[in-house]
Amino acid sequence: MTPLIKHFTLAPPGGGNLPAFSGGSHIIVVMRGAGRVHRNPYSLLSAPRELERYEIGVRRMEESRGGSHFMHDTVRVGTRLEIAHPVNLFGLDKIARKHVLIAGGIGITPCLAHLEDLHAGTVPYELHYSVRSPEHAAFLERLQRLAGDLLRLYYDSEGQALDAGTLLTTQPLGTHVYVCGPAGMIKHVIATAKSAGWPDSHIHWEQFSAPPAGDAFEAFLARSKLRVHVPPDRSLLESIEAAGVEVPYLCRGGVCGFCRTRVLELDGELIHNDHFLSDADKARGQSIMPCVSRARCTSLVLDL
Amino acid sequence: MLVTGIKSKPVYAPLQADIGGRYHLMVGLGVGGDPLLRVIGEMRAAAPRALENTRVLYVPDPAPALTLAHFKSAGAADVRTYGGAAALLEDFSALLHRSLMGTRLYVAGPESFIGLTMKIALEFNLNKDEIRAEECGTLARRVYCVHCRATTEEVRTNIVRCVGCERWLLVRDHYSRRLAAYMGVMADAEVPGELPPLKEVFL
Repeated sequence: MTPLIKHFTLAPPGGGNLPAFSGGSHIIVVMRGAGRVHRNPYSLLSAPRELERYEIGVRRMEESRGGSHFMHDTVRVGTRLEIAHPVNLFGLDKIARKHVLIAGGIGITPCLAHLEDLHAGTVPYELHYSVRSPEHAAFLERLQRLAGDLLRLYYDSEGQALDAGTLLTTQPLGTHVYVCGPAGMIKHVIATAKSAGWPDSHIHWEQFSAPPAGDAFEAFLARSKLRVHVPPDRSLLESIEAAGVEVPYLCRGGVCGFCRTRVLELDGELIHNDHFLSDADKARGQSIMPCVSRARCTSLVLDL
Repeated sequence: MLVTGIKSKPVYAPLQADIGGRYHLMVGLGVGGDPLLRVIGEMRAAAPRALENTRVLYVPDPAPALTLAHFKSAGAADVRTYGGAAALLEDFSALLHRSLMGTRLYVAGPESFIGLTMKIALEFNLNKDEIRAEECGTLARRVYCVHCRATTEEVRTNIVRCVGCERWLLVRDHYSRRLAAYMGVMADAEVPGELPPLKEVFL
């Protein structure tokens, strides 16, 4: 598709329909690689009404922990992949009077599914899509077909940039903004919206964090009575799963809050990398999101 | 039949200035002028520039009410007064059509007035974090008949004759934001003619 993005179409091996989903949903793809299992979230970009197949776009991450490289290098046409049921943490507000979608790079994927719904509806919208350069503009043809003049493109290579300040100070009452892209872009859009007086309930964003690497540490699972070693390049959640203990999760990217786990004892500090817990919760140190967060400690006891 | 202790009954809180907003739209009726004056005062102290983007819509009735001069001397420059709630709400709706994201709404007055204002705000997708409302003045209710769909205004009693179908309605705390009214259900449906004693409860 582009030098960095690959486009995959997933269909059930036996034919028939996949579970229904709404625009903004993601799935978890389970990748059984040599020696370890990756479970990465990817937004569904296909039309929610077409259920014979799901489509996802995968960007090759420079510092991949292996997931995106597995998808790029190992998966071929015909490869069998295991996926989890779609979950939506980035849906459109149902009673919004207008939608403003802002995407950067691979962040365009959930917007594609949204466009399929918006294209058929009557609620006004606009889409702002920033990419490094023309060769990186993935799904351009599809976007132009769906959004037409409502698509605004920005090429970094040509010095074009979205003027978020003007955009967000000129929107009619009842507008919702949705941003998906690099961390810096999301932060900038949220800050700009807030300084323009937007309330939280009208600001939506999604960013799946890959679990950052860190120093190795150990955790003790109090209820299972198991000691778990967490190596530098593996997340706490993955390490717990490798020990045979299941933790409920939906996104594995620090967004949904589902894997929130109680910290019973800690001698050291938690390294919170999630977007779910409030700053106050993080400071209190009584919970951790094992999908992306770690610890620098001599002892950590979890309620698992 | 559950009459009180129903979750949909709106909860109000004293108005507070939200200087995170970019525009401030204040709407009041009668004694609702006092909370608005208080917020204007808070704004003048915390962020005087916010008053440049503040607009007040006010019905100086019923007494005790404020006058235009009260608002002007408090520091609000853009104040409009109206002869009644209907005229105010018509202008309010037209204003929302032209308003931008970043607007905060402050409403003060009797609950029936707050409800009608909120009903319009809801049509513009204003959410809880964009609206503040303080109840003051009469507790008289708008009551929606679940049988004939007529709305009876200014209900002060626990049961009331529906203006549409003349059934005796029991006034419940079940509130509809969309209709800006409490639900009234036939009070003697089980045993015709057997009614609870009529009492003034919403004063």
